[in-house]
Amino acid sequence: MVEAWQFVLRRPELLGEWTLQHLYIILVSNGISLIVAVAAGIWITGKGREHIADVILYLADIIMTIPSLAMFGFLMPLFAALGLKSYGFWVAVVALILYGLLPVIRNTYTAIKEVDPAMIEAGRGMGMSELQILTRIKLPLATPVIMAGLRNAVVINIGIAAIAAMIGAGGLGVPIFRGLRNLRIDLIIAGSVAVTVLAWVADALLGLVEHWVTPAGLKRARQR
Amino acid sequence: MIKLEKVTKIYPDGTEAVKGISLEIPKGEFCVLLGPSGCGKTTTLKMINRLIPLTSGRILIDGKDITEVNENELRRGIGYAIQEIGLFPHMTVGENIATVPRLLHWPKGRIQRRVEELLELVGLVPPEEFVNKYPAELSGGQRQRVGVARALGADPPILLMDEPFGAIDPITRERLQDEFLRIQEEIKKTIVFVTHDINEAIKMGDRIALMRDGRLVQYATPAELLAHPKDDFVRDFVGADRTLKALRLLRVREVMDEQPPSVEASESLSEAGERMRQLGVNFLPVVDREGRFLGWLNRSALRPGREGRVQELMTPYSVLATPDTPLNEALSMMFESAVGNLAVVDGEGKLRGLLTFRRMHEVLRESYREEDEK
Repeated sequence: MVEAWQFVLRRPELLGEWTLQHLYIILVSNGISLIVAVAAGIWITGKGREHIADVILYLADIIMTIPSLAMFGFLMPLFAALGLKSYGFWVAVVALILYGLLPVIRNTYTAIKEVDPAMIEAGRGMGMSELQILTRIKLPLATPVIMAGLRNAVVINIGIAAIAAMIGAGGLGVPIFRGLRNLRIDLIIAGSVAVTVLAWVADALLGLVEHWVTPAGLKRARQR
Repeated sequence: MIKLEKVTKIYPDGTEAVKGISLEIPKGEFCVLLGPSGCGKTTTLKMINRLIPLTSGRILIDGKDITEVNENELRRGIGYAIQEIGLFPHMTVGENIATVPRLLHWPKGRIQRRVEELLELVGLVPPEEFVNKYPAELSGGQRQRVGVARALGADPPILLMDEPFGAIDPITRERLQDEFLRIQEEIKKTIVFVTHDINEAIKMGDRIALMRDGRLVQYATPAELLAHPKDDFVRDFVGADRTLKALRLLRVREVMDEQPPSVEASESLSEAGERMRQLGVNFLPVVDREGRFLGWLNRSALRPGREGRVQELMTPYSVLATPDTPLNEALSMMFESAVGNLAVVDGEGKLRGLLTFRRMHEVLRESYREEDEK
């Protein structure tokens, strides 16, 4: 521990750089997967798409079960076959996008499906279009649950992103793997602690965001 | 005016929910769709604002076929209220009520004025206390009032109400029904109201459309439905106590004896006793010099040779009716009172009439005689 702390004090700019790389990977991958997953989650709630919904949720489920090392193992030859750079940032980002999909798709889907049908009918009966029903009723009610899915996905991905350092994507996995190779305990500990703290902080911040996006009327309902 | 012409609904699975219903609801009338669950009343209601498409037949509103209008525009012109569950929990009371005005892009100031006006109309006063509350902060009855206010949002000429008072305790329900009738007096909307509760139907409706298995069995005023049920189904549905139910449709003023005999409190007992003998009655209402009702004089309290004034032996009254008291309440009061007769007084306490069991019996016999003769 002491050595790790001394390392941090000696090279603060290095740890800062790895943290920023890590955050950047997360931001890009979870940003993209949030958009894709919310869109997909909304789309599969449509009428007559129950089967498609089952398939998509099942696929997303399977993706979650693939170990991260195996995922990189699949993606690297795929990138190569497509003539793209088969290592580094984008391979990591694609892997993390895939991992980030399930929690958000599932939460979006369930939250929208759980909106009281009577409420939707009231909206329709008053002359709201389907789009207005989505944006004025379904999405506001689903937002807290969607945010909970995002929070879940981000915390998972912060851990997986550490492994992405193996394929040259940078981030806080770099000191960990470097330490493992050179038996530098201080590097291992510095990297591990930083990843853990990052996950905690992200979890806490997104928890605040979740609370913040919850419509006031629902908070009141919960207090009762 | 709403006109249904041979309206039929057959679901894709072959269920015939509504089988060729024809119905006319005049402008400003309160029409109740009544029937047991599964009779097609809600389906019929929802076909009027096209939440459920018709299989065949036509529905006309003011002579215009509803399928000729854009469905969302049609619905914005028709108020729609369902059980309290339909309020949007993430919107304030004000935002809920403003739903349709917003869809119609009313200017902000106009929406705000309208919301305040509606909150006052449905008795959520002062409006500023309720406008920013959320549905979760209201009681069931208050939520239902918001539901009614929301349906009236853009002042539509027509209101569709699907068991709007269904999920509320009986006491609050009675109160909301009374209030809604008062509101209707003021706003005179054309209303289609679904319920399975015969008492609610009798109380609220100008006309009742009684449905069974997707068909219209009888379309009549509440009094007619009670007095002349068309067949055994209607008779069963309105219940064996239909005569009692009919009582609530009548007011005391329609049945009472006007200008009843009475005595003044200052008259002497012997004069009063003489009057009672002449009239052949056991009770007389006692009034003061201005004709205000004070109580009853009981003939059995009079003894021959007893001197004094009427007020010395008078029994003070315990219950009173007004000319507008519904007859069912009046009857109940008569059972409660020791006298068995009911004094009817106006707002100033002056005796206006007298209600007796005999009089009530005569009136009811009259209205049901036709049927007895069958």
